[in-house]
Amino acid sequence: MSRLVSLLLAVVALAGCGRADDRTEIVVQRFFGECGAVYGQSTDVAAADGECGTLTTIINRFQAENPDIRVRLNVVAWPGYPQLSAQIAAGDPPDLVTMHQSVISDYQGRGLLEPMGGLLRGAGIGPETFTEAGRRGVVKGGRVYGMPWDTIGRLFHINTGLMAQAGLMRDGQPVLPNSPEEMLDHARRFRAATGNPYLIQAQVNAPDTHVGNLYTYLLAQGAVIFPDARHIRLRTPEARRIVELFRTLNAERLSTTNQDFPGATAAFINGQGGIFPTGTWMIGPYEAEAGTPGQPLYRSYAVRPFPRLWGSEAAFVDGHAWVMPRRERSRTERAAVGRFLRFLADHNFDWTRTGHLPSFAAVLDRPDFRALPHRAEIAEMAGTGQQLPDYVQRQSAIQGLIGEELEAAVSGIKPVDQALADAERRVNELLAQMI
Amino acid sequence: MTRSRGKAGHLSGYAFAGPFLLLYATILVYPLLLGIWLSFQRADLFGARTWVGFDNYARLLTDPTFHQSVLNTFVLALLIVPPLTVIALLLALALNRATRTAAVFRGIFFSSSVLSVTIVTLIWRFILTPDAGLVAEISQVLGREPLPFLSHPDLTIPSLAITTIWWSLGFPIMLFLAGLQQVPPDIYEAAALDRSSRWSTFWRITLPSLRRTLVLVIMLQTAAQLQLFGQAQLLTAGGPSGASRTMVLFIYEVVFGRWDLGYGAAAAEILFLLVLGITLAQYWAITRREAER
Amino acid sequence: MSAAVSRNRLPIAATAGLLLGAAIMVTPLVWTLLLSFKSNAELMRDSATAFSAPYTLENYRSILVGSSVSRWLLNSLIVSLGTTAGVLILCSLAGYAFARLDFPFRRTLFVFVLLGLAVPEQAVILPRHQFFALLGLHNSYPGLILPGLVAPFGVFFMTQYFRAIPRDLDEAAMLDGASRFTLFWKVLLPLTIPAQATLGVFTFLGSWNDYWWPLISATTSDRFTLTVGLASAQMNYAQTSGLGFLMAQAVFASIPILIVYIIFQKQIVRAMAGTAVR
Repeated sequence: MSRLVSLLLAVVALAGCGRADDRTEIVVQRFFGECGAVYGQSTDVAAADGECGTLTTIINRFQAENPDIRVRLNVVAWPGYPQLSAQIAAGDPPDLVTMHQSVISDYQGRGLLEPMGGLLRGAGIGPETFTEAGRRGVVKGGRVYGMPWDTIGRLFHINTGLMAQAGLMRDGQPVLPNSPEEMLDHARRFRAATGNPYLIQAQVNAPDTHVGNLYTYLLAQGAVIFPDARHIRLRTPEARRIVELFRTLNAERLSTTNQDFPGATAAFINGQGGIFPTGTWMIGPYEAEAGTPGQPLYRSYAVRPFPRLWGSEAAFVDGHAWVMPRRERSRTERAAVGRFLRFLADHNFDWTRTGHLPSFAAVLDRPDFRALPHRAEIAEMAGTGQQLPDYVQRQSAIQGLIGEELEAAVSGIKPVDQALADAERRVNELLAQMI
Repeated sequence: MTRSRGKAGHLSGYAFAGPFLLLYATILVYPLLLGIWLSFQRADLFGARTWVGFDNYARLLTDPTFHQSVLNTFVLALLIVPPLTVIALLLALALNRATRTAAVFRGIFFSSSVLSVTIVTLIWRFILTPDAGLVAEISQVLGREPLPFLSHPDLTIPSLAITTIWWSLGFPIMLFLAGLQQVPPDIYEAAALDRSSRWSTFWRITLPSLRRTLVLVIMLQTAAQLQLFGQAQLLTAGGPSGASRTMVLFIYEVVFGRWDLGYGAAAAEILFLLVLGITLAQYWAITRREAER
Repeated sequence: MSAAVSRNRLPIAATAGLLLGAAIMVTPLVWTLLLSFKSNAELMRDSATAFSAPYTLENYRSILVGSSVSRWLLNSLIVSLGTTAGVLILCSLAGYAFARLDFPFRRTLFVFVLLGLAVPEQAVILPRHQFFALLGLHNSYPGLILPGLVAPFGVFFMTQYFRAIPRDLDEAAMLDGASRFTLFWKVLLPLTIPAQATLGVFTFLGSWNDYWWPLISATTSDRFTLTVGLASAQMNYAQTSGLGFLMAQAVFASIPILIVYIIFQKQIVRAMAGTAVR
């Protein structure tokens, strides 16, 4: 009887093996959406558009050129961290995952990511080839914990038509302020001349707006935001100055106030304000508007990094990276991951067509990169872009807390000093409780 | 004696209720106990555990953010459950007829329930947003400044309540309709012979016969709305500055944002106790009155 | 024709209120439908363009072509139907027992089940995730269906319903020598059809729109349910640059539920029209 069973089992096993795939399989997990309708089978990377299209065609192409490796693609809902945490907790994480550089510390600090320096070097990718911002984004505690994929940051998206009406253009270039006083002066002139607010800001449901402003200008003033892994410092004159400025802009109605992100985007596209500080990823859609005759933005669109209002030039940035959750992997699997990363790195330029800045320094000097619209103006951010210190964990939760308090401060509900003190207390409490 | 007594009766009782009870114990009660145990630990998502006793609960007692979320949760439940119940009851009474028109209307009032919370909030964002929302357009036509429904601390909770009522009407209506089916027809015939007015028929006959359903709807909705989550997360993100953060949203942020699993578990147990207390109070209130009758 | 169905005409005020209410219900839905036929680029400028041509089928094409949507649809159907069938069976059995049988700890157990109504999902979801990981149930249909089967409300609802059925029916059947199961299956269960329809629709709906459990339990795309799959198909800023697509997804995901509702609605109406023994 038992012999019969084992015979049966053997037959089943053989039947299973007969069709088995002897290719090495790697599981790649990403967000950025699904666009199989347009790019399902396409390997034409140069012709692809948008984050999803570009990445899909790159992976299709890799698959076509590397028949001995099977890439199992898993597209998850943005940002994918609840799922990743669940997978790790269940002991079944993927081989490569897209991760925001600001999130890496969370998983790395808990020992859940593999250092990738050796693997990358084996694939011919040394950290010295990364951009400054890219390197800062993936090196934690002196080791490389991911391959940086881009730098994303907030920019001034500018309606040059309205700026011209307000007399804020010189030689075809927008004139941006050099101090907070000058910014208020520009904003008042702009309002008087155009009847529109100077700034369009997504202030509803968008903590990143306020926190982006705060971090950027704290970095510009050389302020130490996180003296150590367990403390934040916000009750400072530097922080107060910044919040006061944005509070004044709101109080004098020099900025839009009750808009969320889609609302602010629509307002900017429809020419209802001068400057929309938002991410690199919106360059593409706005550029399309600027190229459409009849639209308010037609031939009236420019992009600049945040102006220097205090201290030095600074940009608070983030970026995407490819990281490798810790788990058992064979040598061949590692080699396959290495080849895949090498292929991605070689196509980093294609990714920058989405509006993001490259993570490899060589791309910055490529003429085809320079030729992309507005990239020459913002390329410096790949060097100046800074992130929070590598020991700061829970950055997204911290952003939520600070954003909540700043929202109350700039809208006038809470006194600035109290809001900053509350934010500091809440963040410190959070950090004190971390394992 | 309708209830069967003796061993055989016991056995069949367990045979009928057993399968459910077994699943209930393993898939709900066991994780719940694990959660309670977790609430006494400092823990993260990946298995780190340190026993801290009542520390998490003590922290909750002094956390103003948590206090606000408790208050918000109760206000929301109060703003949602009574109107929802009354509207659903009225609609059920109006639609409790076997005509084709009534069937169409039943379909219409049920239709919003088929949407997932993602879509409901997306739709209501576009109705309420002061920039281009439907309500804003109307108020502009009337020459008024549009109200910032989604960003003013006094308006976000009412906005969430309206959205939730719109979304949740279908099921209570169905429950009331099912309840109306159990009203014995002869009572109505008697009332018709008495020439009772519509109003007194409602108070004397319909409402008392619907008492069970009414209590069921109120209990269910209270339990459900105290656990309101998706609307607050997606429509207002709990803002501005926490003005519309509910308890479950608080728990979600603590667990998935801060990875502070023990703290989140403690908050979840407090929510559990609150819902439990209220549900039991409601249940006892009816069973006692039933016994008096 | 059962007299419990109201025969008299509605007063004018009530009719007017009904129409107004229906308008409030329908307007957003019509608007959703219109948005789903608009190009994303146009909507980014102004969502009010939904009320005028040109319309396009592009969003629906994007859903249907290329992505794994048919697979997700199948998964959702299996999970939702499985959950609904399971809940109806388990809750009817348990409801019958709690309403009409006598066994030790009956009341205690019933209250114990009621306690389940008060358990917030967030209180159990992570411990349950760990437990299911231990059993190797993630990324499987049982893993997706089992949590939905624990429906304290269903037990409560069915118990209430069984209680309301007159007891003389049982006695008559028992005198005829029917077994307890025959009594349950042949006599009582058919009487609960309106309740089954209500509970069935409710369960199907909850299961179909469930998001959190499938999100963390089904993490490979071939096991995604429709809600999770469609969420993964969205770009990061879908509300801004993919509004039409989002709305098309909503319409698409709602169609199966509407079909289920229409089927059950007939059941309810038939039950109302007097099929049920009174």
